[in-house]
Amino acid sequence: MSWLQELVEVPIGPAGAGPAGPKDIAELADALTMRGFEVSAVEPWPAADGAPPDAVLDLEITTNRPDCLSVFGIAREVGAIYAADCHLPEREPAVAADGDASISISIEDPDLCPRYVGALADVEVGPSPRWLAARLEAADVRPINNVVDVTNYVMLELGHPMHAFDLAKLAGPEIRVRRAADGERIRTLDGVERTLQPEMLTIADSQQAQAVAGVMGGADSEVGVATRTIVLEAAYFNPISVRRTNKRLALSTDASFRFERGADVLAPITAIARARHLLTAIGAGRARGAVVDCFPDPPDPIVVRLRHHRIGHLLGQTVDPSFVAPTLTRLGFAPRLERDDESPVWQVTVPSFRVDVSREEDLIEEVARHHGYERLPTTFPALTRPPQAAGDWRPRDQTIRRLLTGCGFSEAITYGFIEREAALAVHEDASDLVALSNPLSEKGAVLRPSLLPGLVDSLIHNRRRERQDIRLFELGSRFRQGDGETPSLALALTGAAMAQHWTGSERKADLFDLTGALTRLAEGFGVHAAFEPDTTRALVPGRTARVQLTIGPDTTHVGWVGQLDPALASRRGLPGAHEVYVAELDLGPLTREAFARLRAAPVPRHPSIVRDLSLAIDDALPAAQVRDTIRAAAGPTLVSVREVDRYQGSGVAAGAVSLSVRLTFRASDRTLTDAEVQTATDRVVSALEEAHSAKLR
Amino acid sequence: MTAQTAIDAIRVAFQADLDTIATAQDLQSVRDRYLGRKQGQVAALMKSMAGAAPADRPALGKAANVLKREIDAALTQRRETLKASGRPAGSVDVTLPGRELPFGRRHPLTLIREQVESIFETMGFEILQGPQVEDDHHNFEALNMPPDHPARDMQDTFYLERPMPGGGEGSVRPATLLRTHTSGMQIRYMESHEPPVRIIAPGLVYRRDTPDLTHSPMFMQVEGLLVGEGITMADLKGTLVGFLRRFFDAGTRVMFRPSFFPYTEPSAEVFISCVFCGGDGCAVCKQTGWLEILGCGMVHPAVFEAVGYDPERYTGWAFGLGIDRVALLKYRVEDIRLFYDNDLRLLEQFPH
Repeated sequence: MSWLQELVEVPIGPAGAGPAGPKDIAELADALTMRGFEVSAVEPWPAADGAPPDAVLDLEITTNRPDCLSVFGIAREVGAIYAADCHLPEREPAVAADGDASISISIEDPDLCPRYVGALADVEVGPSPRWLAARLEAADVRPINNVVDVTNYVMLELGHPMHAFDLAKLAGPEIRVRRAADGERIRTLDGVERTLQPEMLTIADSQQAQAVAGVMGGADSEVGVATRTIVLEAAYFNPISVRRTNKRLALSTDASFRFERGADVLAPITAIARARHLLTAIGAGRARGAVVDCFPDPPDPIVVRLRHHRIGHLLGQTVDPSFVAPTLTRLGFAPRLERDDESPVWQVTVPSFRVDVSREEDLIEEVARHHGYERLPTTFPALTRPPQAAGDWRPRDQTIRRLLTGCGFSEAITYGFIEREAALAVHEDASDLVALSNPLSEKGAVLRPSLLPGLVDSLIHNRRRERQDIRLFELGSRFRQGDGETPSLALALTGAAMAQHWTGSERKADLFDLTGALTRLAEGFGVHAAFEPDTTRALVPGRTARVQLTIGPDTTHVGWVGQLDPALASRRGLPGAHEVYVAELDLGPLTREAFARLRAAPVPRHPSIVRDLSLAIDDALPAAQVRDTIRAAAGPTLVSVREVDRYQGSGVAAGAVSLSVRLTFRASDRTLTDAEVQTATDRVVSALEEAHSAKLR
Repeated sequence: MTAQTAIDAIRVAFQADLDTIATAQDLQSVRDRYLGRKQGQVAALMKSMAGAAPADRPALGKAANVLKREIDAALTQRRETLKASGRPAGSVDVTLPGRELPFGRRHPLTLIREQVESIFETMGFEILQGPQVEDDHHNFEALNMPPDHPARDMQDTFYLERPMPGGGEGSVRPATLLRTHTSGMQIRYMESHEPPVRIIAPGLVYRRDTPDLTHSPMFMQVEGLLVGEGITMADLKGTLVGFLRRFFDAGTRVMFRPSFFPYTEPSAEVFISCVFCGGDGCAVCKQTGWLEILGCGMVHPAVFEAVGYDPERYTGWAFGLGIDRVALLKYRVEDIRLFYDNDLRLLEQFPH
């Protein structure tokens, strides 16, 4: 706080409370927070003798405001909040009195380094005075020696990173700003040998690289106790180049953090002048020679047009012009009135440190921040056209959730990436997998080609935590190189179908619980589900079916249902021998369109007649075929066929099965006679005998 | 009285008695009264026929038998009716547990998402879903985050080893990354629709964050976008305050604070008064009384230019809300990772 108050004249205390200043540090912290500089902590700090209480403010600075990564930057904002003047700290004039010989600077790559300022100073290296070291410590910067500390102090104060080279360790008083040679090596100040690439910029002497520009200095020219003369550096480096270099080297420093966000191209001279003043002031040395400023192509300042009416247009509230211009001025902008009427227009020159401002909206944000978001009204935008319905996916997913939770399945959400091995266990084609180039770990190496691995893992997670009866489903995307991202539904179940109850014993879940749920699901969409014996990866042969949905005139194969291969379940960590049944369906074809065209049929007005048939048939014959034969033979009065019993054992020949089916007949226009039903039933019996050698029992 | 008259009289009397039967006892006494072997009126009638003219006897006997069958049938039917409407004896222990019918739950993140959706639906917003695998254009570039933009560090990205087919509304390019936010849906929708725009887009997003109590490499977000003529930041405030008060509590206080997002200008972070302490300060809000709940701002003109909207004519706003964060706060779950364990002991605590 004491540092801040050196740079901006804001009284703090009950006397200063009001528009001129905050009543205490907490109020100042709030004011900064409400202007976008979140004060995350206010820590008391030991004050100098006799001075008012001091404190350290921890600020969160957003990436667009590198100018506020400094005490002076914050001072400027404080000045705008309290209409107070802020001023730069004491500096030494840029031109030295003795006019002694200085250094030569050449910039070989002005795109990466538009400006380089250097100057010499004779120094006597030692510890910094206590007050200076304490301020560095308050900012979590470790004091090293008076010279290095001065460069860091200037960076914290003004926001501009600096560096000091030991002149004696350079090949001569010559600085070359050049790209690294391919494979050029440098040992940086952290003691690490690094290999550079031509896209990286270096600060070199005539022989070799002495610093990675904007990132870190080299150990070979490090300032130490023996150093007598230093070369001070204050430069401006291209943000993208610094960012690429520190990413490549995995080396982020206080300097690179500022340069990659955008430093102030006009600050280097100020920084050098401040550093030379401080060296003298703390008795660490004195400037030698002139400051050399290599700045081949100074950019023109940016000028942005600000229309007063656009402020209200964007914010929803008019802000007084007499607030707009002074606020911008305090923030360092130079607004010039272009039109002065009830709707003024300004030509605003943007200061070089405001790298985030290039358009009118950016200026409006400055006005809004200092006007206060809390003062904007709350209004509700009018609807100017009828609201649009959500896509088909929404009623589809809602219906699925409703139906499946009603069937006892709970919804799971699992990660979009899984282990490669788990993916290959359900999806054979390795080239169809979508791999991540930078996974967090092998556990998330590929995007899931199927929801099953994740859902099975969730089932196992529950099974390993004392849970016996588990029913889960997941709705989500699966990812394949061939098909892209597609919506999918997976189900998994194990344990009891009916939980143990005092009226009787539990029943274990089996495949038919899952096919039953899928049938219910299909009915919920007004479509027909059929299951055909088939085999697929990860499911037990003989207990696996392909799922076909008949939607309108089309029958589509949408997925699989079956028992999960016990070896796979056990590999994924399923304890003991528990049967796990799973299904996965492609949701692409499934819509509720069937109901869009729905016309209710009349409720039957005539009674139905029921006939039960007990048949002895080959036990390998799928029930679906028997059903198809019955339907084809019975004629239009048959309304339903239902298997009511299936029996094998005494009284039934080996290889055969006794199947009881219940046929329900009804006509919509009359009461059927026994004779009619008998004729139809006889047709069914002879068709069954002919097609399947079925015998009536 | 002739015998025939007597038969008719018994029939009438029986009809009246039949109507009075309410219990099995009543039934028995009516049966005894009419069909009793000794005292019964029908038996008495049969006996009295001995005095009738011999020529009349066969017809009268027949009529009496018809009467007897009628009474018997009526009483039998009456017994059935009585049995069906009778109350069973004994009692069951009603405190024994009922049968556990299957009953699954929606995921807590789904619950929150559907609540958010339904509130915005009533405010006229269209609900969209977009692809989770995205291209650089939709995830970053069109949102004013060119390559090498430092803001990309805020969203550490998972990249695909090789491109895969992209999808979704708007222009289709090969997907190269997992989306880091739902904001790409702003671009996709505006590329294929003219203003006015009023949408929300919920969905899963991915960031390369090491999992901990509050970070998961996959989480759920909902994006909101409203564009039109004369849309202001005051509209943004009004809509979000309205939403937050419906979602949390009518007394919720809402604070807007300047922030930075590359795709909005001005940008704001939105805080609500702490749902646990009401703003007095507690461990959850770190004694501040406020909880950060979402980020928002006025759509950056560079975003409009990227989709071909005229930023002079149209203004708009956008917001992004973390569903997981809201669920953590609303249900006071301690660890975000629990949402992806799918532990039924957690899931079954939530309403159907």
